[in-house]
Amino acid sequence: MLQIKNGGIETLVEDWPGRLGYLGKGMSASGAFDNVGLGLANILVGNSFGEAGLEITGGFFEAQFGIDTAIAVTGSDMKPVLNEKAIPMWETISVSKGDIIKFSHIGEFGFRSYLAVAGGINVPEYLGSKSTCIFGSYGGFKGRKLAAKDELVFGKPDDEPSDSTGRKLKKEAVPTYKREWILRAMPGANTSPDYASEKGMDHLFEHTFKIQHTSNRSAYRLEELPDNFFARSDGGVGGSHPSNIIDHAYAIRGALNICGNTPILLIADGPTLGGYMCALNVINADLWKIGQGTPGRDFIKFKLTNQEEATEARINQKKLLSEASLL
Amino acid sequence: MEKSINAIMPGLCARVVVAEGDKISKSQEIAVINCMKTEISVPSEYNGVVKKIISKEWDELQVGDPMIIIETAE
Repeated sequence: MLQIKNGGIETLVEDWPGRLGYLGKGMSASGAFDNVGLGLANILVGNSFGEAGLEITGGFFEAQFGIDTAIAVTGSDMKPVLNEKAIPMWETISVSKGDIIKFSHIGEFGFRSYLAVAGGINVPEYLGSKSTCIFGSYGGFKGRKLAAKDELVFGKPDDEPSDSTGRKLKKEAVPTYKREWILRAMPGANTSPDYASEKGMDHLFEHTFKIQHTSNRSAYRLEELPDNFFARSDGGVGGSHPSNIIDHAYAIRGALNICGNTPILLIADGPTLGGYMCALNVINADLWKIGQGTPGRDFIKFKLTNQEEATEARINQKKLLSEASLL
Repeated sequence: MEKSINAIMPGLCARVVVAEGDKISKSQEIAVINCMKTEISVPSEYNGVVKKIISKEWDELQVGDPMIIIETAE
């Protein structure tokens, strides 16, 4: 059991790959925003990589353990402490009943920390996932972020939690965090020459975009595009602005929606359809980087890739999220 | 002793809710930051008196940026 003493800015129960199969009903997949951070934390404590853990956004989370168990903390370095003593990240540590874990503010790099516990978080699955959809108020712990006095129950681990204590990751398995995140992406569905100009698409792949402070688990907003991005003067039957089109399904997670002149990455809890053009899609293997992008501080740059590279990157990520990453 | 109350999140200063000369207590909200389309309350870490307001509405903030200065007896 884990008793929450301070829920912090936004702490959610998330698993991976989230709630798949309901886009047609308007329900996004949710799931861990940084699936690599959650996945590696899970591997460290002996869980499957997609088991539910805690996604700590912005920091200030504090909780008390009700049992002896094993945990791992990954992601942004929010200077976690156990009973006021610093604990290492990216490795498994033992905790005892009564121990208090506490996180400070966001680190120098990254925006989200992940806390995995041996056995995972035991919340009811809703439509096949334990993930919280914060904007739909369903899934996870009562469909909301954690707050003081909440009590979370852990799942039953396959092995003794003490068996995983001291596990570490190979150096090359620990992701590198930066303030400029390179996202590999492919153009489409609405690109040049019909919707965007050649110059506009060049701008998209050459410019470094600041992440706006209004970004959250639904959408990551980037700085505005110039007017010459568009190939059209208006949206025709779709609307008056050239970013308007007739409503269509969005290829989430990872579509770059162009809403007016604002490019918006549609991610975890994002909308499943709408009437704005989508100029590119970030590859699945790079989605985790968006989750570590800090609003108001970090930058995003798109790098052109192709389906073969995207497939290879996904295969490599699958290998990364396995016991092969352990020392 | 002078202490500064700093931004706890990156974002925009939505408002400062205390005025110079106000007596404030530990945990009391002194300002609000807009980030992730959410209003995030910034609490005081100390008891004291507000000496100087540094942040104003719409200022872009990074974690650790000073928002107000207070005079504490601690």
